[in-house]
Amino acid sequence: MIAGDQAVVTVRVEVEPDVAFEVFTTEIDRWWRRGIAYRVAGRRPGTLVMEPKVGGRLFEQYDGADGPALHVTGTITAWEPPARLAFEWRGSNFAPGEVTFVEVTFSRTESGATELRLVHKGFAALRPDHPVRHGEPAAVFIGRLGRWWGDLLSSLREHVTKG
Amino acid sequence: MQPNLDLTFRALADPTRRDVIRVLQKGPRRASDLADALRASRPAMSRHLRVLRTAGLVEAGVGTAPAESAARGGGRAAGDAGGRAVPDPADADARERIYSLAPGSFEQLRSWLDEVEQFWGVQLASFKDHVERTRGKKR
Repeated sequence: MIAGDQAVVTVRVEVEPDVAFEVFTTEIDRWWRRGIAYRVAGRRPGTLVMEPKVGGRLFEQYDGADGPALHVTGTITAWEPPARLAFEWRGSNFAPGEVTFVEVTFSRTESGATELRLVHKGFAALRPDHPVRHGEPAAVFIGRLGRWWGDLLSSLREHVTKG
Repeated sequence: MQPNLDLTFRALADPTRRDVIRVLQKGPRRASDLADALRASRPAMSRHLRVLRTAGLVEAGVGTAPAESAARGGGRAAGDAGGRAVPDPADADARERIYSLAPGSFEQLRSWLDEVEQFWGVQLASFKDHVERTRGKKR
């Protein structure tokens, strides 16, 4: 993996890791943001489901234009409650075989809270030939136009960081 | 997103142009060196560099090329006639220049990647709200 080929976000939540893990996974539809930037369904009714096991799927089911529709974001690759969770991440227009990876770790703090760290990586493997739509916010790229400019962005990021 | 970033992405939608960026990260290069290193014809490289310059990703320094560069470039182009494009007078100028990365141009790209983290930041903030509201300890 190219260094820098990842987005890292951390958050501290005031619950124990086992609770954080449980809510993160089984209640993902409750906390996952709604709207076009975050869901394939956009503002239409839909449900986000994470099947609780390795090999399970993270998917969104919703009412599409031609009836019920399903978008599988990816497969669960690590299910280690309460410490670690990993799953594939595919935008709805990724080509077959194109995939990125999300890993979430839950660490207990001294006070019994949870330090959650999310790493989204693997962009370098994507073919960066997707036409970029003008004015599309980054969040929409992630959700729908997910072919990124990974290796380039990464090296450029290193470049600007150094510079 | 800024329109300029859209231009940037379009410029980088080509594998050769991405390779140009990677090579230039190691230091400034002549167009002819870039063409050789990336096995592109001189006219093709000239076109790529023009796109990159228009997008503001690459700068061309003037007058810094060694004197032998132009002569060598011309000689080579003639020698490369087999399979290669015929030298185009229009890019003779480009061949002599020294190309380098334009430092400021990547600020927008960096901020775009920061937006990627913002996406997850928003999600995790939403998660925090939800989990603490429904399961949070009283502190």
